[in-house]
Amino acid sequence: MYCLSDLEVDFILKDIIARGITTEDIQYNLLDHICIIIEQNLEQNGDFKEFYYSIIKTFYRHDLSEIEAETCILSNYNKHVVLNRKQFFFLIFLIFIGPFIAYNILWIDLNWQSSRWHIPIEIWGNSVAYALWPSLIFLVIFLTPEKFDPLIPKKINDSSGHKAFY
Amino acid sequence: MTYSTELLKGTLKTIILKLLADNKKMYGYEITQKVKELTSDKIQLTEGALYPTLHALEADKLVTTEIEYIGKRMRKYYRLSQEGKIKTKEKVKELSNFMESMVSLLDIKPKKF
Repeated sequence: MYCLSDLEVDFILKDIIARGITTEDIQYNLLDHICIIIEQNLEQNGDFKEFYYSIIKTFYRHDLSEIEAETCILSNYNKHVVLNRKQFFFLIFLIFIGPFIAYNILWIDLNWQSSRWHIPIEIWGNSVAYALWPSLIFLVIFLTPEKFDPLIPKKINDSSGHKAFY
Repeated sequence: MTYSTELLKGTLKTIILKLLADNKKMYGYEITQKVKELTSDKIQLTEGALYPTLHALEADKLVTTEIEYIGKRMRKYYRLSQEGKIKTKEKVKELSNFMESMVSLLDIKPKKF
């Protein structure tokens, strides 16, 4: 069983960092993992560097920074809010049309006694221009996904070229 | 025979969570060895898959960690959090149901022991 010196441990850590591992957590996990393999498999008077370079190669396909990339992907995966189509369009309706509907309801509520249903043309006009027409456009897009859906790309390419490890 | 990448995709978190549920606390190298041992070398977790997944589990607060210093280096032990224990049950149940569905879908007869 090989006993690693502090200098050798430092050498491994520096090499891991130089190979593109920036997440401290991953650096120390890899360091410990590599140290265990060396301690368990290298003979007492074995060549440390030669053995280290032979095992570090088994940790990656192209280079060690793949592990860092994978870490970033997995860490960010759940941080994005993913909406389905219904939720997306509901949000769009809410953002674009909601304020007009709310304003109209508020106006009617405040002026109900004096105006009843005699709503001024400004209110109707704004609602039609800024709420009704966008509603219709969104409705058409929502109901005809095969023709107009901007959410479904015509051609899906995996431009990252990243492959997960397993 | 080792299993293909496609088969292992999506099961890694469940494997790690279940191992942590059964073993209280474990560190990375120990997890890889335990998986090898339990599956007779059929599943070999790579470091490139294991550590990013452990990092993600920690970020999701499904595991808690404990540091132990061994000379100049440190060893990080992972332990299930309360949330992780609940998630483990869900994940194991989900995978179990999925396997049952696959058995009936592919018309596989389970081996009799």
